[in-house]
Amino acid sequence: MLEKDLINKLNEFKEIEPNKDWAHWLLSNILTKSQQEVIIKPRVKLVSFSFIHQYQKVLASAAFAVLFVSTFAFAQTTLPGNPLYPVKTLTQNARIALSSKDYKSVVRLEIAKARLSDMTKTIDQEQVIALMSQNIQKDLQAIPQELKNISNKKIALQVSQKVGEQTKDLKNLSNNLLNNNNLNQAIDEAQDKVYGFIFSTEEEINQCPSYLQDKLANLQKYFTDNVQTLVQWPIDDITKVRTFLGDIDNDVKAGNCLEAMVKIDSINQILQIHSLDIKVETSTPEN
Amino acid sequence: MTEEEFINLYKNNLNKIFRFIYFRVDKTEIAQDLTAQVFLKVWQKMSLRGISQKRNDVAISNPTAFIFRVARNQIIDFYRQKNKTPISLEELKEKGIDIPQKSFVSKIEMSFEMENLKKSLQRIKPVYSEVIIWHYVDGLSTKEITQILNKNENNVRVLLHRALESLKKEVSKEV
Repeated sequence: MLEKDLINKLNEFKEIEPNKDWAHWLLSNILTKSQQEVIIKPRVKLVSFSFIHQYQKVLASAAFAVLFVSTFAFAQTTLPGNPLYPVKTLTQNARIALSSKDYKSVVRLEIAKARLSDMTKTIDQEQVIALMSQNIQKDLQAIPQELKNISNKKIALQVSQKVGEQTKDLKNLSNNLLNNNNLNQAIDEAQDKVYGFIFSTEEEINQCPSYLQDKLANLQKYFTDNVQTLVQWPIDDITKVRTFLGDIDNDVKAGNCLEAMVKIDSINQILQIHSLDIKVETSTPEN
Repeated sequence: MTEEEFINLYKNNLNKIFRFIYFRVDKTEIAQDLTAQVFLKVWQKMSLRGISQKRNDVAISNPTAFIFRVARNQIIDFYRQKNKTPISLEELKEKGIDIPQKSFVSKIEMSFEMENLKKSLQRIKPVYSEVIIWHYVDGLSTKEITQILNKNENNVRVLLHRALESLKKEVSKEV
């Protein structure tokens, strides 16, 4: 190849460009971060004893940490209406956000119970109580979807049974101590959905072997029909699918039907990422 | 540096920096991550420099060269963190180690010929592929490259000449 041809070919690489949406996202993200991170410099200096000056950063951090921890600790004992109660709510929300995806609904209901208990101890805070009641109702509405998002069926069953018990406790607490019809109705609705979910999950577990057979047959058909498409896949994804198929084979031999189902779901996710036409059924087939 | 100046700098250089990193790391996702880190660092450093008003700084006098230098360091850090050296196959062959050529999987569709050219670019010495990308793909002048590499213009011209020769040799092997 001549030098000129080579240079012309190199010029064609100019067509490689990053995704435009990503480029916009990155710019706005950098500009937002910069305001918080770039120009933060301590300007106040301690002028007293020299040893304090030496350790000022450590002392300041320690004092801040003590203040921070004690505020949070004290806030946990407060009731609605107290200026520090939002700190308690914030901690509780953080607990929900940080809890594992599978057990989020259990943590959510534990916190709903604690909040309901706080509401019963509060007097003359009607507006705050009404707002809290609305928040508990929102929490209850989120629970059925969170249960559906649990990929492992055994864990889903365990968690939904626990959630079922928690909703009973919540109902008792609400009946005994409050007279809030909307809240009672929300608890009833959540309870119904949870029991429905328990029923369908149990059925899915019992009929696992036949579902598994169908899904494996679909997968096999897909991979046979689409060998050409697979050539374009990244090598990592092909390796993942191979590993999953090997594990599924072992699970089937060992009689671990549910584990095999979870791995089939993972393969389905990879197929979805590659926007393929055939999607192996993941939902429970109708009888 | 003001926000507006940074936005202009970002728009003018994003594609070039992304391409440069993409050729070195071979994966779109990693190239995006590293590009993001480069621009974040540039914005932070430039803002601080803007405050201290050191106008004779390279970052202020030639922002493009500065960004490429940051990108180059970012790639070196990436390989260092991964316990990998950005060593070329050519260098490995010189040491008697023969590496089988892996099939390069890319989401960007290219012709067979372009794909071979890209593979060849990745096979020559890193510094050769860098100067070729900067000069022939991203259109940086030899003067700008001198500022990135801290070398004089004559050295850069020699480097470019050798890099092209090396690439031609590599391409002819493919054919």
